[in-house]
Amino acid sequence: MRPLALLFLWSLVGCAESPGVDVPGAAYLPDAGPGADGAAPRADDDAAALPPGSDAAAPPPAGAAATYARLCAACHGPLGEGGAGPALTGLGDRDRATLADRIARTMPPTDPTACEGACADDLAGLILDTFSLDPGTCDAAGALPRRVRLLTRREYASSLRDLFFFDQVECQPARFTFDPGDRQPGTVHVAGSFNGWPGTLAAGGLAMARVDGVYVATADLPAGRHSYKFVLDERDWVPDPDNPLTEPDGFGGHNSIIEVPPCEAPPDPAAFTAGVPPETRPEGFAFETHVASGRVTAVHLEAYLENAERAARAALARGGRWLPCAAADAGCPARFATEVGARVFRRPLTEAEAARYTALARDEGQEAALTALLASPGFLYRSERGVPDGQGRYRLTGHEVAAALSYFLWGTTPDAELLAAAADGRLDTEAGLAAEARRLIADPRAGEALGTFAVQWLGVEALPTAAKSAELAPLFGDDVRQALLDQTRDFVRQVVFDPDDGRFASLLTAAWPVPDARLAALYGAPAGAPAPDGRAGVLGQASVLATYAHSDQSSPIRRGLFVRQKLLCQELPPPPPNAGGVPDVDPRATTRERFRQHTDDPFCRSCHQYIDAVGFGFEGFDAIGRHRTTENGQPIEGGGDMNDLEGLGAGTSAPYADLATLGALLAESEAAPACFATRLRRFALGAREGAADRCAVLALQRRFLASGGDLRDLLLAVVTAPEFTTRVEEAP
Amino acid sequence: MGNHLNRRRFLGVAGASILGLPALFRPARAQVEPARRLIVFYFPDGVAGPSADGEPSLWRVSAGAPLPDQLAALTPHRAACLFLNDLSMGGTDEGSHPGGARKLLTGVDGGGGRSIDRVLAQTVGADRPHRHVYLGAMANWNGASGDKHISYPEAGFTAPPWDDPVEAFERLFAGQVADPAGPDPAAERRRRLRLSLLDGIRGELAELKSGLGPSERARLDLHLEAVREVEQRIGDVAQARDPAACGLGPMDIDRGQLYAPEQFPAVLAAQSELLVQAMACGLTRVGVIQASHHTSELIMSRFAGTEMYDPGFDMRSHQASHYGPRHDLERREFRDYFAQRRWFVQQYAAVLDALAARPEGDGTMLDYSLVLLCSEVSDGNTHAHRDMPFILAGGGAGRVRTGQVLDTGGARHAGLLAAIGQAMGADVPRFGDTASPPLPGVLS
Repeated sequence: MRPLALLFLWSLVGCAESPGVDVPGAAYLPDAGPGADGAAPRADDDAAALPPGSDAAAPPPAGAAATYARLCAACHGPLGEGGAGPALTGLGDRDRATLADRIARTMPPTDPTACEGACADDLAGLILDTFSLDPGTCDAAGALPRRVRLLTRREYASSLRDLFFFDQVECQPARFTFDPGDRQPGTVHVAGSFNGWPGTLAAGGLAMARVDGVYVATADLPAGRHSYKFVLDERDWVPDPDNPLTEPDGFGGHNSIIEVPPCEAPPDPAAFTAGVPPETRPEGFAFETHVASGRVTAVHLEAYLENAERAARAALARGGRWLPCAAADAGCPARFATEVGARVFRRPLTEAEAARYTALARDEGQEAALTALLASPGFLYRSERGVPDGQGRYRLTGHEVAAALSYFLWGTTPDAELLAAAADGRLDTEAGLAAEARRLIADPRAGEALGTFAVQWLGVEALPTAAKSAELAPLFGDDVRQALLDQTRDFVRQVVFDPDDGRFASLLTAAWPVPDARLAALYGAPAGAPAPDGRAGVLGQASVLATYAHSDQSSPIRRGLFVRQKLLCQELPPPPPNAGGVPDVDPRATTRERFRQHTDDPFCRSCHQYIDAVGFGFEGFDAIGRHRTTENGQPIEGGGDMNDLEGLGAGTSAPYADLATLGALLAESEAAPACFATRLRRFALGAREGAADRCAVLALQRRFLASGGDLRDLLLAVVTAPEFTTRVEEAP
Repeated sequence: MGNHLNRRRFLGVAGASILGLPALFRPARAQVEPARRLIVFYFPDGVAGPSADGEPSLWRVSAGAPLPDQLAALTPHRAACLFLNDLSMGGTDEGSHPGGARKLLTGVDGGGGRSIDRVLAQTVGADRPHRHVYLGAMANWNGASGDKHISYPEAGFTAPPWDDPVEAFERLFAGQVADPAGPDPAAERRRRLRLSLLDGIRGELAELKSGLGPSERARLDLHLEAVREVEQRIGDVAQARDPAACGLGPMDIDRGQLYAPEQFPAVLAAQSELLVQAMACGLTRVGVIQASHHTSELIMSRFAGTEMYDPGFDMRSHQASHYGPRHDLERREFRDYFAQRRWFVQQYAAVLDALAARPEGDGTMLDYSLVLLCSEVSDGNTHAHRDMPFILAGGGAGRVRTGQVLDTGGARHAGLLAAIGQAMGADVPRFGDTASPPLPGVLS
């Protein structure tokens, strides 16, 4: 039965056979003094200080890997691990000529003429060598080419914030608290110089609310010094007993004093990326970090120019500690160019660059020089060109490593400490790199990049503009959508960085409370209460449930595919032509009944057995993720089957009753954590895994599994892997 | 039925086409001047073509017979249209929406080539301040990216269109009309600084390229190309343009609702008008309008005032396209699909109307333009890549033999793209991975 079903499948598809505004830290300013700048890029011989991975095998010929990715990976998996077609691993004892002949004659099934002769022989070599290597011993340095990475819009905006706006004081409302002690006043309000000393609430007194026995109030006050008193029952005027700052009130008593510091509204990062088109992502690549797609057209370039002008003007108008000198000072143009330039470019300027930007600052002014720096390729691209490592490959320079670490772990430009570590060579050693990585992972700023990863990993980014039916839309307003995105982002962050957690399993199984009053109606429980209805982990979050649904109905197909593709990395071919769309809406039937054709018809079943059986278990949740027990008057049949969890065609069955159980099944599998590791790797490296990366990917997966799904260790593993800092010459 | 369908008219279009009626209009300078501009108008998810059960295409045009119902909106422009029957995009990825989208304008399997619009932008379009204008209506919605976009500035890579007509207007028209108060010294200084800054970028890009392999260098070359274009644009601003031709009435677009399907018709109409106006103003020769994207979730039953309108029922483009094995009017999916396709053709006809309403030379802008209608598959249910629904309208300054039905006998569509290239005056002797020469019968 199983082989028959798979045969169907293959014949169908051709597979036969805001933490950055920390003021005191000023993290993005370099240390004062000569040590922090002026260091030349590391010389080649120094750069080899970090030993590369084992040189047991050279990378496979790039041509074969590319051919494999183009013709074979869709069915056999990007690493030969199998998918809709059989696995190609462990064939090391086969005869190369025989395999090559078979490839030439029969592969790919859709066009057996596509790879013959030398092409087939190279592929056979790839399968026999690369796919049969023991990942414990093979070369994990990978095959990423020397390259440059265009900043994403998010990285660009965060970088500007941390370069120029890091030391601003954000506006906070003034907060008043009054502990009445033994008194039991009916009302308390604040009267002061800022509101005209009103004696009553009706006259404009700032009302205080009683919370846990204490009266509190907040107000947005202008910067400066304000005096105030509390007024009890609109009769008794008393100074703030907890505030030692007072002044005479002119009536023999005292007023309390509050000093409101000058503040600024934080800059809107979107304003600095206006007009820059969204990042392009190839089909199936979930992250905006795809390196090869980062391309600058005239539309981009013009937007970069305008944004650079705008940001330079804003940064200079505001000033701040990033500005090294006053324009009129002697020698300022050179200091401005080299010091600001080194921060913007994340590395010391070359002599030619220093001369050019010094001249600009001197002749045209600081704004022109800063505009030029911000529109420069030196800012827009971060280099991963590396320097020769003496063994035929290239190792990233310390400054390149600093940028790679920072943009992956923090989503922004390196801070002063990281740049200092680059300058003094610490990032050229394994231990130094790991130490800096640990520091970054432990910092609250790591939450920002991880939040970006989380919503892209789960594919829920488009929730704010997802279409919902006229009936559901009123229940699913902008505030609800935003609250759902925040929930998922915050949940993943909390799991990853909770010192007592940090486990992959928790992403799928942890119980969570309703996070926000805005979601109380949707989740059917008040804010703070445990989420009901078997919701746990990300599977039970309405961001996921509503994204993987239609506008007006649930979608077992999308939800099943979500589990297969996003959580298990199990790719299924696209639906065949004439597949039929969503079955007609039938006012008397449940969704499960309507989709029964998929499993009754053997043609459909070959694929849908892997999709619908999983997706049906989500039927207790409607198109916006609300819990339901009936549909069109019929009871919802509970449960699904997480069949073939570890790989398509395995023939296993794992029935589950609710999403918490499904989450536990996934959490205990090997396939789900292994998949997660490859997804995080994609986000970090901005490239899909290919045949030549097999050793690196397997090494990462093994370490993650061996650690029991330790998420913070996985972050560390990604950046300390040889492939993070090794590049190869791109094949001509 | 309320949707203007008529069974007899369905049957009436099924016969074989007749070749080669003479074009009804040709400007006098026919053989001398190339077409002045190209507009590509794309809509998603194909048409009611040959059904899975073998019923004939409901798109096919026959000479002498009324236009089929799906194309009825083109009747007033029939003489300006070249109808192409039986064009094929080849067997690779047949049955796939993304596979079709990749081939559509590149003529290369897998999108492995620069698309014809970009080739023209970088050649005959390079004398305009905007070499290429790519406008979308909900074309980036739902994170649509990669092969959901049809314009390939480089082999293997698309760029996203502008989905916001207000932003597109500002970026296209800003500074294009001379200030009547005379030159502004501050603006002059900004222009000078920008030019010097671009010069610096050019040098730094050259430096950055060192040590990189061919595909990385190609990425930076695209950046260099962009530098050249923007330099030229800045230099070009000094040219005074006619304010009457370079303005646009107020756009009634809610920018906060760009991804609300209710507003889709207004956005698409605004983008069409904007592109035509930008061309009238001389800002660009090459433009692409992309309505949504393949496998579209666009809820077309929310278009008020259309025959699809049903606010209580969500009918999406892709959902309707899988209407079943037959052209079955009893099925809601098919009725709606048919109505949707008619609507898209109406929007294409509106572009032709806009061009025809603007005088140019001894005729109208339409006489000097090429306007290509296309979708990434033929029949929306079978996803076939044969018998593709291409229509080429506009006289192209007499370079194209409009007013006829061309039975291409299954020729590859790259030949049509080559013909468009040649009609535009570019040196495109062959195009696509089939190295197709211009399709016989297209050029006059």
